[in-house]
Amino acid sequence: MSASQSAVRSRAEAVQVSRTFDWMILFTLFTAVLGGYHIHYMLTGGDWDFWTDWKDRRLWVTVAPIVSITFPAAVQACLWWRYRLPIGATLSVVALMVGEWINRYMNFWGWTYFPVNICFPSNLLPGAIVLDVILMLGNSMTLTAVLGGLAYGLLFYPGNWPVIAPLHVPVEYNGMMMTLADLQGYHYVRTGTPEYIRMVEKGTLRTFGKDVAPVSAFFSGFVSIIIYFLWHFFGRWFAKTDFIADDAS
Amino acid sequence: MAATTESVKADAAEAPLLNRRNLTLGIMLYLVFYSFIRWYEGVYGWSAGLDSFAPEFETYWMNMLYIELVLEVLLFAGINGYIWKTRDRKVMSITPREELRRHFTHWIWLVCYGWAIYWGASYFTEQDGTWHQTIVRDTDFTPSHIIEFYLSYPIYIITGSASFMYAKTRLPTYQEGLHLMYLIAVIGPFMILPNVGLNEWGHTFWFMEELFVAPLHYGFVFFGWAALAIMGVVNTEVMAITKLLKKDLA
Repeated sequence: MSASQSAVRSRAEAVQVSRTFDWMILFTLFTAVLGGYHIHYMLTGGDWDFWTDWKDRRLWVTVAPIVSITFPAAVQACLWWRYRLPIGATLSVVALMVGEWINRYMNFWGWTYFPVNICFPSNLLPGAIVLDVILMLGNSMTLTAVLGGLAYGLLFYPGNWPVIAPLHVPVEYNGMMMTLADLQGYHYVRTGTPEYIRMVEKGTLRTFGKDVAPVSAFFSGFVSIIIYFLWHFFGRWFAKTDFIADDAS
Repeated sequence: MAATTESVKADAAEAPLLNRRNLTLGIMLYLVFYSFIRWYEGVYGWSAGLDSFAPEFETYWMNMLYIELVLEVLLFAGINGYIWKTRDRKVMSITPREELRRHFTHWIWLVCYGWAIYWGASYFTEQDGTWHQTIVRDTDFTPSHIIEFYLSYPIYIITGSASFMYAKTRLPTYQEGLHLMYLIAVIGPFMILPNVGLNEWGHTFWFMEELFVAPLHYGFVFFGWAALAIMGVVNTEVMAITKLLKKDLA
């Protein structure tokens, strides 16, 4: 192509072309991130996300933030550092949650008839918004990782509390004490997940008595900091524009 | 550039930069097709998909598997063969406007690729989770697998490879060599399909339950990360398009 020639005939056309590309890019980024993030999240934290009787005070609180801070960190690494768009984490999480909600409604309920109030997804949005705000205000990867990562872990349980609290109230059923969420699990038998592989409230350490969730959240926040750093660099790597020589193959 | 009578006539005659009809058709094609598939699952999953030893399972599900496998091979060869056969042998000498038009066509492919990834990696993959909680696993070719692994994954593989092939054969931007992130964005999700081999082997021999977070599934996770490489493609495209526009858009 000629080095001096523009492909458009006016500034107005250039603006129109640019805006059209913006929408096409946004759609593709949204759906591709949705696909990659969803397959990652459902296979690293999915069981805790699928069912209310897996949403306990210990492992759900620990696992979900750690495995879900990954894509937000990576997408931030591209969108902020290249385009100054402070939406990487929120975009990723909104994409994931759109995919999850469509699925829980259309398939978990629509195909196999699990009520939505046993299989709704966890809410990851508060943490994602905080990650983006910290990055935007601080313009620092380190600050976002340390402060944002910790906040991401800490905010997870409060962010889900209004939804999960009614299902954590105790009930007595056939002489046994359990939560309402447990009771849902008893009634909606899942053929692929028998009770012996349900991972909830594992471990014996009860030093902190009733304060299981805060301890789990702090630990989750701590690991989220490390995972943020790691995935920030993954994101940078995935944003590269390098070519390899054709004959290298 | 001065607007002469000739140039105005040329503008009216030339093809639009973005073929909106093709874009809409592309998106609608996947939407309508997968809506049909979802309806088929809803009806025949329950009526003919619960027992793989039943004759109706062969009729409604195994025959579907055989047909889709044949069609996918033909589609892959046909689409990629066509794009390769009709490649531009003088790709470096096209006009900037033609190059911009091709970038738009390329983005129609990428939009379809993202859309296909959504259906495959999100919609039908998580859907498989709930089917396994509903039936007793008695075959590797359970209805949700026939749709997820052997239909939706090949469809995004075909779309992704076609998109890559289009870029490589028609856009000057991609003549420098092989774009590493584009390769990863296409080959990574493709590798999810061979990884089904590991999944089925594990589920067949030692793990009959469907714990989604089981390490047996981590191969899918690893290759799913490759979807992030779309960011490298976006960055390359943004640079190329900015260079073509040569306008201050602020």
